[in-house]
Amino acid sequence: MPGRVALRICPNLLGVLVKDVTVVIVTGTNGKTTTSRMIEQSWQDAGISYFANKSGANLLSGVTAEFAVHSTLTGRCRHTHALIEADEAAFQHIARYVHAAAIVMTNIFRDQLDRYGEVTHTLEKLRLGAEQCPDAILCINADDSLCSSLQGELPNKIIFYGVNTPIYASRVEEVSDAPYCIRCKSEYVYDYVTYGHLGSYRCPHCGYSRPKPELSVCRVIVTDDEHSEIVFRLGDREIPASVNLPGGYNIYNACAAMAAGAALGLDPEKTAQSLSHFSCGFGRMEKFEISGTDVRMILIKNPAGCNQVLSFLTQRTEPFVFVACLNDRVQDGRDISWIWDVDFERLTALGGMLSHIYVSGVRAEDMALRFLYAGFPRERIHVQKNYGELMEQAVSHKLPVFVMPTYTAMLDLRGTISRRYGYKQYWE
Amino acid sequence: MELKICHLYPDVLNLYGDRGNVLCMRRRLEWRSIGVTVEEVPIGQKLDLAGCDMLFIGGGQDFEQEVLLEDLKGEKTANLKAAIEDGMTVLAICGGYQMLGEYYETWDGTKCEFTGALALYTVGSKERMIGNLMFQCREIGSNVVGFENHSGKTYLGPGVRPLGTVLDGFGNNGSDGREGARYRNVYASYAHGCLLPKNPLLCDQILRTALEWKYGAVELAPLDDSFETAAHDYMETRLRH
Repeated sequence: MPGRVALRICPNLLGVLVKDVTVVIVTGTNGKTTTSRMIEQSWQDAGISYFANKSGANLLSGVTAEFAVHSTLTGRCRHTHALIEADEAAFQHIARYVHAAAIVMTNIFRDQLDRYGEVTHTLEKLRLGAEQCPDAILCINADDSLCSSLQGELPNKIIFYGVNTPIYASRVEEVSDAPYCIRCKSEYVYDYVTYGHLGSYRCPHCGYSRPKPELSVCRVIVTDDEHSEIVFRLGDREIPASVNLPGGYNIYNACAAMAAGAALGLDPEKTAQSLSHFSCGFGRMEKFEISGTDVRMILIKNPAGCNQVLSFLTQRTEPFVFVACLNDRVQDGRDISWIWDVDFERLTALGGMLSHIYVSGVRAEDMALRFLYAGFPRERIHVQKNYGELMEQAVSHKLPVFVMPTYTAMLDLRGTISRRYGYKQYWE
Repeated sequence: MELKICHLYPDVLNLYGDRGNVLCMRRRLEWRSIGVTVEEVPIGQKLDLAGCDMLFIGGGQDFEQEVLLEDLKGEKTANLKAAIEDGMTVLAICGGYQMLGEYYETWDGTKCEFTGALALYTVGSKERMIGNLMFQCREIGSNVVGFENHSGKTYLGPGVRPLGTVLDGFGNNGSDGREGARYRNVYASYAHGCLLPKNPLLCDQILRTALEWKYGAVELAPLDDSFETAAHDYMETRLRH
């Protein structure tokens, strides 16, 4: 609200406030928040004076308000650096006023089709944003054929980052969001796929292919329930790192954060070290202990992210309880049909290892239906719309609980957990 | 009894949970001990409908839909039209529905020829019609709930009936109150969500149509539809108020 008022008075306020500040913008479909938290940790460790937009204030008004809060009355920013997480749609509006030093693009996946439309529309939005910052170094995921296609269309210097090796030992078939060449519409051929449409692609017809990344993950040593051990390659150097969040997609986020560090000329060894102790964003693999039971909350937004969560869960070797909270408010995406594009059958295949499924949220009944048709036994699917009761019942089995909420469900559920069990509120 | 379902273009027309419709038909046949096989026909593969009892076609992104138009022309279109005239059951959603029509005219006047299997056509508009959709379907004696997201406005020609009457949302074009299309044993709709799981009466009606084409009069055993009904009724109640 204060941001909106300020913008009314001075539309270029952000442009004024941002002068002389080194700004890094993080955008893309999945991984914006986690990548930002990693970058933030590396800045903290490097002794950089910075601020970052938190608690989902990633629209133009929110970003302006954040800058205003961190500026003196004469409009000078109190910090040398700013880290902005920008929504794919808001990015182009923010980029109009902010001349970023670096722009980090995580990836493009199908997401909230009712709001963003098709992946090619999202790509166009990212292009329009980047176009306004010709001096910014672009950190682009080489493994994403959509983002990488910006090469040659923009004058910017680009640092490509990517993963040079498959992440999971076994991979499941999932719907690709970009099976056909963005340039000539022929079907891509892959040397390997890491997940979704990410991997080493090339078009046999026009020759468009994955650019060789300057900064890459050359080895994945371990990726388990708690963390990943990986090795980065930057030029001739090999830099080992431990990423303190599990999941293959967090390896990509780590790689994006390393690329951001390289863009600013930070010491890569130190950036790599920061990956082992950054604190995750709310609901991003966040851990709680409720009545002596471990609870992990993993925010989901779209099929690609959700399939990644399932890849993580199906690696488990110990029994667990699964909770899915599905809302259909504007920020979640009003269209919930994507749950049918997610391979929940993989959870059924776990058999007794997955002891119970609880469903909640505004569209709990649809979620229950999805699990029923995934072949999960109906007597072990429970609908509980009251979040307090939901958590009590979920932890009652004395097994680890994994909670997968959509965005607004995460905020509500986290509110309940804060009040009932004394955890920090998300805005604190 | 046994049904062989052909899933046309699962590789590109897979945007709005459409595979859920195929999964739904499969499960509801399996639960009744009726045999079911699904043959997927991607781009580049011949469409041989001789051994098929029904066909499903979903919706996709514009980018990929352009890829398949070339593939659909010629033999595939001829086979599809012959099968429809012969009475084969077809379920088509969104982009797949539009493709059964004669053409698609973009908002700036470019005309794109489609299969012409059904007397209907679509005109693109600048505004997308997005939101929850509910329509009354007399054929099954129930309201159908789903979600729509399309910029094309579809108009039905002679011989093609609507699948239902819009109660909430836009339907075919946002103006004539019609939603979807019915012609012989073709069922077409803009509703995804996906459509069949939370509209079990519609799913069973389609399965019955396909089975009766093959075997004559068929009685489908009732199923425990408590989960399906709960999802249906939640949305129906919400859209009524």
